[in-house]
Amino acid sequence: MTIPRSFPVFAIVFAVAYAVAYAISVHNNYALFTYHPALNEFGVGVQKPKDGPAMYWYGWLATAGIVASVAGLLACYLPQRLTSRLRPSFSWAVPLAVMVFFAYLLRGYFLR
Amino acid sequence: MTTALLIIHGLLAVALLGAITHQAVSVWLPARKPAGSFVGRFRAVPGVSYANAVVVLYLITAVLGGIIYAEYRVSVRVVLEQLELWKTNGVFELKEHFAALGLGMLPAYWFYWRAPLADEHARTRAVLTGLLAFIVWWNFLAGHILNNVRGFGS
Repeated sequence: MTIPRSFPVFAIVFAVAYAVAYAISVHNNYALFTYHPALNEFGVGVQKPKDGPAMYWYGWLATAGIVASVAGLLACYLPQRLTSRLRPSFSWAVPLAVMVFFAYLLRGYFLR
Repeated sequence: MTTALLIIHGLLAVALLGAITHQAVSVWLPARKPAGSFVGRFRAVPGVSYANAVVVLYLITAVLGGIIYAEYRVSVRVVLEQLELWKTNGVFELKEHFAALGLGMLPAYWFYWRAPLADEHARTRAVLTGLLAFIVWWNFLAGHILNNVRGFGS
């Protein structure tokens, strides 16, 4: 299978943008939609719980996925002198940093 | 229905765990001589042959996990909070975020494992594989612990 020459640019930018967008989405609750599991109901944007908990995780995934896809596709059209500065290590270093960020963010669960 | 999906999710997770662990060991502890022992053969597998399987298994396992997550949120998490099992709850919170972050790394992981393997990307390949292996192991153990807290069918 042949893949576009710009795919590595897309893959690196996608990994970086996805991790950052996901972290920001969770931290600021920028969920694209809300799911109310007790009612089996979806709602646009961030909604308050109604008759049971509200789930934002799916919405965060959607927000991060869209942001990362757009960023990755746009990066494919950048001139090579810019994209050549992208290092393959960005594709793991940024997600790793975001994993550490979440461990810090959720430390309250483990320090009670 | 949820129980059936949970079992399928668990079985796929076992397959994913085996594939990513084989691959991670093959890049981090490669066999230096012809393998004779079980451990030696475990280390000597060609990592490249696992990449597509890992991507597909990760995606399907994540989708199934996402489907049963709603039932967890309604029926299990509330109980964990009532029992004040904060660490257990925290382990699951990390599971959901790690799983999400793993999804974002899949395109890069898949690309750097494409044959023929480029020597200059060996470190990227190794770290991406190691990170995904960590996520899969964390999520597998977290899911196992969570399942055991309430017990099967409770």
